[in-house]
Amino acid sequence: MTVTDDIGRLLARHSVRELTARGRALALLDDGSAHELLGPFDHLESPWLEPQGVVPQADDGVVVMRGSIGGHRAVVAAVEQGFQGGAIGEVSGAKISETLRLAAADGSAGTPVTAVLLLETGGVRLQEANLGLAAVAEICDAVLVARTHAPVIAVIAGEVGSFGGVSIAAGLCTEVIMTREGRLGLNGPAVIEQEAGRTEFDASDRALVWAVHGGTQRHAQALADRLIVDDIDELRDAVAAAVTAGVKAVGSHRSERVDVLAARLALLDPATTPTPAQTRELWGAHYEVPEAVPTPAPVPSASPGPASRGFTWLKLLSGVDTPDAVIASVRMAVTDQAVYLAVVPDPASPYHRARHGEVGLAECLALAQTLRRIVAEDAARPQRRAIVAVVDLPSQAYGRIEETAGLHQAIATTVDAYAAARTAGHPVVTIVVGTALSGGFLTHGLQATRILALDAPGVEIHAMHKPAAARITRRTVDQLEQLGSRIAPLSYDVRTWATLGLCDALLPVADADHPTDAETATVTAALQQQIEAARTPVADLSYRLDTPGALHLRGASRHVRDELARQWAAER
Amino acid sequence: MQTLTFRFPAGTAPKRRVHLGVVASGDLEILLTPHPPGSDADAAEVRVRTSVDGFDAVWRQVLERFFERSPMTGVWELNDFGATPGVVNLRLRQAVDLALAEQDPQ
Repeated sequence: MTVTDDIGRLLARHSVRELTARGRALALLDDGSAHELLGPFDHLESPWLEPQGVVPQADDGVVVMRGSIGGHRAVVAAVEQGFQGGAIGEVSGAKISETLRLAAADGSAGTPVTAVLLLETGGVRLQEANLGLAAVAEICDAVLVARTHAPVIAVIAGEVGSFGGVSIAAGLCTEVIMTREGRLGLNGPAVIEQEAGRTEFDASDRALVWAVHGGTQRHAQALADRLIVDDIDELRDAVAAAVTAGVKAVGSHRSERVDVLAARLALLDPATTPTPAQTRELWGAHYEVPEAVPTPAPVPSASPGPASRGFTWLKLLSGVDTPDAVIASVRMAVTDQAVYLAVVPDPASPYHRARHGEVGLAECLALAQTLRRIVAEDAARPQRRAIVAVVDLPSQAYGRIEETAGLHQAIATTVDAYAAARTAGHPVVTIVVGTALSGGFLTHGLQATRILALDAPGVEIHAMHKPAAARITRRTVDQLEQLGSRIAPLSYDVRTWATLGLCDALLPVADADHPTDAETATVTAALQQQIEAARTPVADLSYRLDTPGALHLRGASRHVRDELARQWAAER
Repeated sequence: MQTLTFRFPAGTAPKRRVHLGVVASGDLEILLTPHPPGSDADAAEVRVRTSVDGFDAVWRQVLERFFERSPMTGVWELNDFGATPGVVNLRLRQAVDLALAEQDPQ
């Protein structure tokens, strides 16, 4: 190829990056086929931004367009990266999850609809913290249902990239398509630097950022399926090819390959953070178990366990005095009727950013393996055991090795396993006894069908801890707290969280570290009651929009659901 | 954030509703909705929501001058994220162009 040809091709390119979300969606769908649903003139804005002094956008930053791709029925949900950095709030999140649910419903009625998610996002919109977090959990659940009927294709082709909880959803998709400029990860470089310092991750080092998160690297690690140049025709071809490839067989999605995650982690040495290039050499270019995997080090015999609130409640609720150590930081108590799981601190963890009870790579693997094993063991039982997630965790692990290895994909593997347990018929119940923050809670907690929380000092559920959320939204901690008293999803108060329609029972305990016998008995009884209630199977998490709290505070989500369904049906 | 409302005399009716722009840094979103058919409304009703407080006078001047030259009726919603007067003018002119085009370009 001559230089002239190269330049000719370069000049003929139509950049995806330079288009708005609406422009991207239009360009992706077959000419003349596109029709926007819940467009700007429907005025479905976020109800939470204006009261906080933030200018809303008429479509809340997500464009939904139906049409066809290569003649196949398709729907595109495109995140507008320019509005609030593509962050997902209540309305924009509901637009994505409800789009996926409608595509799945058509699919189960015999007319499959491919869903394409154009992801350009920093994750949960901190101004709508807990409702954004709930929306992301529901998007994950909706991807899992939709991908069984037709491909769900994630495209990451812009300046912002995909970060935060939305990347977990990307990790659940049938395929991920990226440009070299695109980035995919759980924690963005700036957040890691803020949490762990510049030696952990220098966010100003662009070469490092793209070496870890960039499209070329993710493709080489087989965490993305197709790598394209930033050109709309190439993107159309890649998406069309993914549509033609069709749905993946059950068990073959990346997020179902617990064996690959196990093998890949066994090849990593967390003591010497591997370079991005080393992970490629170690793991190979396919998402398969590499040859010559060392046997994982045996799990040390169960130490007495840490003095943590999560561990205390694991023992109290299960009645098991010495829970097993799946690994030192993932403890499990097994009874005839239930399996209790908690992520606890392990000060000796080889992953130095996951020593205080954070959900990191090893914790994701341990949880996913355990959940898959329980589902398999109980397949022949007359009644499946309940799975109880005891939650007291500071967050996901913010670290360089975590991002290098692809923590978003490890979390997706756990989320998939929790959802699989739920759909297999296990009652999955979460009980929050301490902090439940951000990606940690998305991994271990938010896929349950019942969620309980202690009403006690130190119980806190949120998208990010206070000082960081204040910094990012350019407020002081005081201002944040004041806003939280007016804006329900922003509140750090568990009593306010319990009004959002996600909480099935709020259980008062005076001192959650030293509960009285009477308190323990009350909480245990409430948990058993919720386990029994959770035996009534639910197909997915869509019921959360019909809880009493949701009727009151998630009106915008419900409106999105109803109006999108109406417009979708009119399109047929 | 500040919400400002204005009303300017106008006579040209848009042929269609128009949406353009993004509430992105230095940019703004415009929604133009024609008055209902048969209505004899002869004004541009403008609501501006802007992320930058204290520029009431500048907004008035920019909009006054614009609607003197392009007196287009309808309900104008401007969601602004710190656009300069130049960008505001550009977006307003784009909106009028789209509203008067022979064929719906959108």
